[in-house]
Amino acid sequence: MSDFSEELKGPVTDDEQVETSVLSGAGMHFPWLQTYIETVAIGGKRKKDFAQTTSACLSFIQEALLKHQWQQAAEYMHSYFQTLEDSDSYKRQAAPEISLQHALYLLHHGMLEDAKRKLSEAETWRHGEKTSSREILINLIQAYKGLLQYYTWSKKKRELSKLDKDDYAYSAVAQDVFNHSWKTSVNISALIKMPGVWDPFVKSYVEMLEFYGDRDGAQEVLTNYAYDEKFPSNPNAHIYLYNFLKRQKAPRSKLISVLKILYQIVPSHKLMLEFHTLLRKSEKEEHHKLGLEVLFGVLDFAGCTKNITAWKYLAKYVKKTLMGNHLVWVQEEWKSRKNWWPSFHFSYFWAKSDWKEDTALACEKAFVAGLLLGKGCRYFRYILKQDHQILGKKIKRMKRSVKKYSIVNPRL
Amino acid sequence: MDFPSSLRPTLFMTGPLGLNDVSDLSMCSWQNVLTQPEAQPQNLKNGALHVTKDLLWEPATPGPLPMLPPLVDSWEPGLTAQDLLFRGGYRYRRRPRVVLDVTEQISRFLWDHGDIAFAPIGKLMLENFKLEGAGRCTKKTTVVSVKKLLQDLGGHQPWGCPWASLSNRQRRFSILGGPILGTSVASHLAELLHEELVLRWEQLLLDEACTGGALAWVPGRTPQIGQLVYPAGGALDRLHFQEVVLAPGDNPQFLGKPGHIQLQGPVRQVVTGTVQGETLLAVRSDYHCAVWKFGKQWQPALLQAIQVDKGATGISLSPHLPGELAICSRSGAVCLWSPENGLQQVYKDPETLVFRDSSSWRWADFTAHPRVLTLGDRTGVKMIDTQGPPGCGLLLFRVGAEASCQKGERVLLTQYLRHSSPECLPPTLHLVCTQFSLYLVDERLPLVPMLKWNHGLPSPILLAQLLPPPRPGCVQPLLLGGQAGHLQLLHLAGEGVSAPRLAGPPQSLPSRTDSLPAFPLLEPKIQWRLQERLKAPTIGLAAVVPPLPSASTPGLVVFQLSVAGDVFYQQLRPQADSSPRRDAQPPGDTRPDCRAPTASWTPQDTAGCSQWLKALLKVPLAPPVWTAPTFNHHHLLGSMELQREEGVVQQPGVLREAMAQGRLLLQRDLGSLPLADPPPAPESGPADELSERLREAWAGRGAAWWERRRQARTSGPRRQPRRPKRRTQLSSTFSFSGHVDPSDGTSPPHSPEGPPAGALPRSPITSPSQELTPDAWSQGIPSERRQTLHDYMAKLPLQRDTPGHAGTPPSSQASSTRATHSRQHTPILSGSQHPRKKPRMGF
Repeated sequence: MSDFSEELKGPVTDDEQVETSVLSGAGMHFPWLQTYIETVAIGGKRKKDFAQTTSACLSFIQEALLKHQWQQAAEYMHSYFQTLEDSDSYKRQAAPEISLQHALYLLHHGMLEDAKRKLSEAETWRHGEKTSSREILINLIQAYKGLLQYYTWSKKKRELSKLDKDDYAYSAVAQDVFNHSWKTSVNISALIKMPGVWDPFVKSYVEMLEFYGDRDGAQEVLTNYAYDEKFPSNPNAHIYLYNFLKRQKAPRSKLISVLKILYQIVPSHKLMLEFHTLLRKSEKEEHHKLGLEVLFGVLDFAGCTKNITAWKYLAKYVKKTLMGNHLVWVQEEWKSRKNWWPSFHFSYFWAKSDWKEDTALACEKAFVAGLLLGKGCRYFRYILKQDHQILGKKIKRMKRSVKKYSIVNPRL
Repeated sequence: MDFPSSLRPTLFMTGPLGLNDVSDLSMCSWQNVLTQPEAQPQNLKNGALHVTKDLLWEPATPGPLPMLPPLVDSWEPGLTAQDLLFRGGYRYRRRPRVVLDVTEQISRFLWDHGDIAFAPIGKLMLENFKLEGAGRCTKKTTVVSVKKLLQDLGGHQPWGCPWASLSNRQRRFSILGGPILGTSVASHLAELLHEELVLRWEQLLLDEACTGGALAWVPGRTPQIGQLVYPAGGALDRLHFQEVVLAPGDNPQFLGKPGHIQLQGPVRQVVTGTVQGETLLAVRSDYHCAVWKFGKQWQPALLQAIQVDKGATGISLSPHLPGELAICSRSGAVCLWSPENGLQQVYKDPETLVFRDSSSWRWADFTAHPRVLTLGDRTGVKMIDTQGPPGCGLLLFRVGAEASCQKGERVLLTQYLRHSSPECLPPTLHLVCTQFSLYLVDERLPLVPMLKWNHGLPSPILLAQLLPPPRPGCVQPLLLGGQAGHLQLLHLAGEGVSAPRLAGPPQSLPSRTDSLPAFPLLEPKIQWRLQERLKAPTIGLAAVVPPLPSASTPGLVVFQLSVAGDVFYQQLRPQADSSPRRDAQPPGDTRPDCRAPTASWTPQDTAGCSQWLKALLKVPLAPPVWTAPTFNHHHLLGSMELQREEGVVQQPGVLREAMAQGRLLLQRDLGSLPLADPPPAPESGPADELSERLREAWAGRGAAWWERRRQARTSGPRRQPRRPKRRTQLSSTFSFSGHVDPSDGTSPPHSPEGPPAGALPRSPITSPSQELTPDAWSQGIPSERRQTLHDYMAKLPLQRDTPGHAGTPPSSQASSTRATHSRQHTPILSGSQHPRKKPRMGF
């Protein structure tokens, strides 16, 4: 080999990995590199026959599955089962994982008792090395167990609600319910302290805490879940907290502060309309301003353009804001939108298609268009031209308001 | 908009990639169908059943069919790994390593382009050459007489023969010129060559130029009619517009000849989109982008074309605002572009997003918010607000522990799933594909993928398309295309408050090579050519759901474009509900092909294929390139003799005889072959025990099975089969099939294009008797170089002095001069091989 031919590929530390693929010096991994090398027919280290057989078998299985040749896949699978006898330590470590998958399968097929037993088995798995990832896995298994217990609990709870308090069975069932909740809380609470998305666990845990009147505990769980910085910014965490506070009849300012954060994460969420209502009802002027911002924000998104409630709110609120001498607020919102909202919302195309699909929506939009763009706007003009018996009066009123309040022609 | 009311549990870890495997697990397959346990058992089952019924597709033909073009373009497969990689020295290495074969390339270059390689040095040394062949001795020892040198070589110096005799004069010359000729030319050349080879190798590993795809569908004035837009012509620089009529349940019909627009460079990406009734077509070339608008007559009219100096890597059309595009370049800049307002740079950062990566590939796309763009590179995807302060943004996807990425994982493709229909999927989803997995990321929950699925495609995914639901209320098909022609069809669902999930089993669709049986039986050379053509990388993908006439079953047509410019189409139809039929079979029946072959070729299909083949065969092949003939069979025979000593092959004598007689070596000359063991059939009976047990256990009836088993055993003892025996049988099923040649890569059955690489002689030594005739040399020298040689030789009054070569003086001189050169480089050449074919490298 000449001295100027350089090796592109650096040595790889992990022996196992090399056989399936080779890491490039640049860091990117090319799963198809191996086939290239094989076509060049360089020997290298060969896999043991058995390992080769199993990997070939696996790829056959995969291919058959993807082509929906179930029968063939099953036959290959039959051969592949032998690998389960492989005494590889890696395989053994995967055992709890398989148990978890199996449990989820059983769960999905409604075999709850079996699933529970499977999870208990997986939980007590003691082979292989104990690693941190293993610990998380065990936590996850326990949490799923907790979820199953929750399921039993909620069934019992339903039973309990049917029973009369004086019934002789009541105390026994109640006791049962209590025991379950205690076990569940132990099982779930460990997992949900770890950063992650744990929606179903948090939901059921909170429901149980609420049932037993531990409101502070529930609120703490939800607050942690929503505000812990190590967690991903999960909109559901804030939604759960908001719904909980709403159930607890928390003060408006508290609700607003929760939704403010949700607004920053998901300005397109349907709770934003509720947020707007809260802000509108608030006494603070800054909340009124934010209320306008929220409405504009919702309508920025492609999925919300046909939301008639949002348009109705906006039309009303823009008019109200303009009447309340807050022209600056509207102008401020409009400034960043005036170069794209006209073609995004108020084009001639939309005027025609909105009118055809939903005249009420078209009217609300036309009103907003008139207020923001003036009476010369194509959308507004198109709707104005349409002759509609029922909406005629409304359109006339709209025309008057536009003339009076449109920001394009401020009363100077 | 609704947000999924309950997301799937996921562990969230921050950090570099390759850190955790656990959160991978928390996204395991069953969870794709699991939502909340309380509401789940009955509804979901019904839902799943309902869903899977009408979403499974099956190909109507076993493979895609070619669209008949008026003219098939010629195409040469590019460089392969075989051209680039070093083919030896691996036997003793523990791990396979990729080494670029610069040696072979440079020796080919020195052989083929000796004038370029050595002329500059010759010019520099000109004053030390005495070209006039006068007999007087020079006084200066530093001046060499060329005449004498050439005389010594005598025109019969064997090429590259290290044992050829050297005269003192030659030795002196080589000592004098060696240091300069040996190092400066070779090292400089090698440096450049290596750079080029690295580039080519990287391109071979991942050719990102056509990311996104260069095939697009433009809907026409009626739902049945549309246009396919794709580049064709050998250089992919002619944009074709082919009108197509779709009829459900029938093959698409191609109307007339395609219209075309000639462009200046190869087309890499074609994008079309209709926003507010306005249909635009955007095209990306290496350094240019252009946008057309389809007018009333469905004729494209150019709106604007721009130049991208640093090289454009991606272009996308806004799904929200008509006439707005996003483009990105290798410099790391993202621009919002509209023909009316021109370019507006919204982001620029030459560095990659998450960690340092050498790739300059960038990708830009839109989001659910018309003023927010995504910027993707190999390390992640970022959302940038075009109205916000420059440089800031929010990471949407990170190649790291958050998505539990593997070591070496990189983003290959990112796409805003713009065609999601509101009743099926939220409009906030982005698709991110890596070499291993596919991720669905919701822009409302950055960093945590909503769905992760290991696609297992053996080639890079550079093409993806989300299709509208074929029927209202159906799940949406997502089509993925690998560069090597692999196609996969997934189904996405996630309406309202449920999290996006994969509905139904993923499916792989036939690739172009699966169509080979539809072509007539061919002679090997043409067969090979056809095969190469069908194997050409896929660079475009477009799928159309034909409009539904009332009471008709939906259809799906997938068009694909290969780099050779061929368009193939595959029709898909909803799978007939075949599950009851399969269940009706007796349980013991395990015929391997119990599934009735549903798709088969019709005479029409095969007729179309042969017609296409005829057109293909009309294309003239590139003129055969000259390669130095090699007559060395000693090497081959030598290795065979070695094997005879080992008692493996007994036939070299027979082979030698056959060669001497100039006839083919036939099977009967060799005697009977050792019979290969037929692969063992799957064992039945007791061997099924394990799978049976697992099956029962999986379904939760493990205890019952065990009980049954125990009873059976106690009632009648039975012999247990031995496990180890089965294992050996299993491995013999797969490790090899048929005859294995012991001589490692030098197996006799040759591929039609010539001897396989391994069978080539390992050294360029040729004996003098087999030396090339001068005529052969003059054939090998390109005409333009012949002129150079003429000019050079005109200065030498040698021709008449050399008897015996008077007839072809220039060529004889040519061979000797070239021999001189090659002599200077024997150390390099000795390790190399004869050129297999002319190198396709461009210098």
